[in-house]
Amino acid sequence: MDTTLDDGHEELGRIARQLFEARCPLTTVRQLEQDDVGYLPSLWDEMAGLDWLSLTYPEALGGSGGTLVDLTVIYQELGRALVPSPHLASAVIAGEALVGEDSGRHHDLVASMVAGRTIVVPALMEAGADFGPDAVTLPVRDMPAGYEIDGTKILVPYAHVATRLLVAARTQAGPDGTTLLLVDPAADGVAVTPMPNIGDVPLFAVTFDRVQVSPEDVVGEVGQGWSLLGPALDRATVLRCAEMVGAGKRLLELSVEYALQRKQFGQPIGQFQAVQFLCTDIAIDTHLSELLCHQAAWRLDNGLPARRQVSLAKAQASRAIQRIVHRAHEVHAGVAFMVETDVQLYTRRAKHWEFDLGDARYHDDVIAAGLEA
Amino acid sequence: MDFTFTAEENAFRQEVRAFLDAELPPEMAFNHEFNEDPDLWRFAFEFTRKVGARGWIGLTWPVEYGGLGRTQTERLILAEEFTARDAPMVNAIGWGLAAGALLVGGSEEQKKRFLPGIAAFDRFWAEGLTEPDSGSDLASLSTRAERDGDDWIVTGQKTYTTWGHHADVMFLAARTDPEARPHHGISVFCLDLKAPGVSLSPLYNMAGGRQNHTFLDGVRVPGNMLIGEEGKGWSYIMNAFYAGGGAGARHAEMRLMLDEVIDYCNTTTRGGVLLIKDPIVRSQLAELELMVETERLLTYESLSNATNRRPPQFGGALGVVVSKENKPLFAQTISRIVGPLAQLRQESRWAPFDGGAEAWYRWSYANHAGGTSQVKRMVLATRGLGLPR
Repeated sequence: MDTTLDDGHEELGRIARQLFEARCPLTTVRQLEQDDVGYLPSLWDEMAGLDWLSLTYPEALGGSGGTLVDLTVIYQELGRALVPSPHLASAVIAGEALVGEDSGRHHDLVASMVAGRTIVVPALMEAGADFGPDAVTLPVRDMPAGYEIDGTKILVPYAHVATRLLVAARTQAGPDGTTLLLVDPAADGVAVTPMPNIGDVPLFAVTFDRVQVSPEDVVGEVGQGWSLLGPALDRATVLRCAEMVGAGKRLLELSVEYALQRKQFGQPIGQFQAVQFLCTDIAIDTHLSELLCHQAAWRLDNGLPARRQVSLAKAQASRAIQRIVHRAHEVHAGVAFMVETDVQLYTRRAKHWEFDLGDARYHDDVIAAGLEA
Repeated sequence: MDFTFTAEENAFRQEVRAFLDAELPPEMAFNHEFNEDPDLWRFAFEFTRKVGARGWIGLTWPVEYGGLGRTQTERLILAEEFTARDAPMVNAIGWGLAAGALLVGGSEEQKKRFLPGIAAFDRFWAEGLTEPDSGSDLASLSTRAERDGDDWIVTGQKTYTTWGHHADVMFLAARTDPEARPHHGISVFCLDLKAPGVSLSPLYNMAGGRQNHTFLDGVRVPGNMLIGEEGKGWSYIMNAFYAGGGAGARHAEMRLMLDEVIDYCNTTTRGGVLLIKDPIVRSQLAELELMVETERLLTYESLSNATNRRPPQFGGALGVVVSKENKPLFAQTISRIVGPLAQLRQESRWAPFDGGAEAWYRWSYANHAGGTSQVKRMVLATRGLGLPR
């Protein structure tokens, strides 16, 4: 029993931290929030060069024998630096689903993604803004030449730079009715509209107006989509938790630094117990989130059932990141309210993280389902 | 990184379970901190002697002192299995605090004189640290031990003396050097509670347990009852608990309680709906699961650090804060799940799961034992995060 990372992980973390500090300081993050593209293609290429877009893929598909735990280390650094990146959407969710396809029909697409030339993003959420297999209702109609989809997907990340959307749609009722379809966002009938949001994250609504999809663009088997998407989403959920942990650690550092340096009433405010307790709350929330995240990642790496552990990690992290951000505001007080300081960058991004890939409500329900007799 | 136990460790776990199957009838399982039933206590003494005869009280101690030289992981497994079944292994002050202090600071002669006896449960130790004016600020304690020839004369008052009325001896912290700085003038002793000058008066707590005021009025303590070196008592106290193998497994107790609540939710309806299907209850159960799981992982993290001789993060204070603060929250959330019947005592036939919700809520305010949660937060903030005192 050993809950801690290895020396190799420490080294990977150092490399990631240095890279993101150099390529994407917070001044760049601010610029990217206002920018149409919204991420750094040059950093994307560099990550491709480091094999970070395919770290956990099978070696035949560009993998380098890395583990999900390795990726959590990188994601902690992504979170700390607030790097906006299509990595989770493309390299993890879409990528792992495509990699898992038995037929290997889309391995050319995967190769292009691994090289950094192609971005594929998942289109999952619908108007009800619910998560999970039952929330997929976008109907698929059989057509003579293939399939037709008609409806709307929302909160699609990086749709504006995606070569393909990986759309989750429903071919029949019931748990085994999800089908994954690759759709070109530039195809007839597809409209991509930005969804302005508090985190300035590139999120889009995509409407499909009787869009035609050919049979080659089905990923996996018809009606079996969740068997590919579910595991990919579990991995992405754990990585999202790691991102929140990294942000939490940085907010702890910022809060402690501020409490040591800001003087009022003749002493650093960090000497006041109320301020101390706020900082300890951040430490506790971050640390507990990290423990649960590592457990889930390790179990997935070792082929152990992890449904419960993934949901425990996200149920915790979704709550924790909101509390952490709140405590950071309490410590910094008025200063955090100002756009010129960095805390609010975390605050606004955290609102996206809290709800992405299942919020506390969703994951509480998964946990509770596991307790039913 | 490895979140599992080895095959050998799991085999030990099975061995412990087999021992409990054989030696612990379910009706004799009880929480001995909060129950004074004499029959149960008689059983607890016999049970603990059997644990000692098995060598498991001193599981991790060196063999030459009556131990088995086994691992801290196995000690935690023992704690998990015992806690999960409310096995009344008494004398935690003896095998935890006193033995820990001896292992950390005792002379060879003292270790050989005291430890085998503690490993066999030869006598019951009471806790003699806290005083009316020295709780969180334990280093300010004023019970005085003055040299008298080879002996010491002890005068003062201890309070919240848990198990004092069951005990033969007290693990006593007293001030031997009033001139030294507070942390440096404290020594620890084994004090005979049958000696002249010792008197107890009962303190009943809301959990149904009994603690005591202990009055020490010129009590003579033989010189060879000083544990370790004079003036080093504080460091022994601070380092004793883990050294003695007092690995806590509170998550196992929480798991036991939560499983009863889950069972209740799977079999009880409100407004025609099973509680387990109620969205609010589901969310509350998820929060309780999070508490149990995070405390379990914190315990395993402590174990990882101890096994690999790594200093703990956050001054070692983070886990303690979490478990202290969780106790009442855990019990309160259970109350809210159960609803109005949660107020009923065990004696009422309407009390759900044998009055568990009511009892655990009362027990939960024992959470400040060993230091208040706020003091531990202060340690986390200062030693852990580097904020100024």
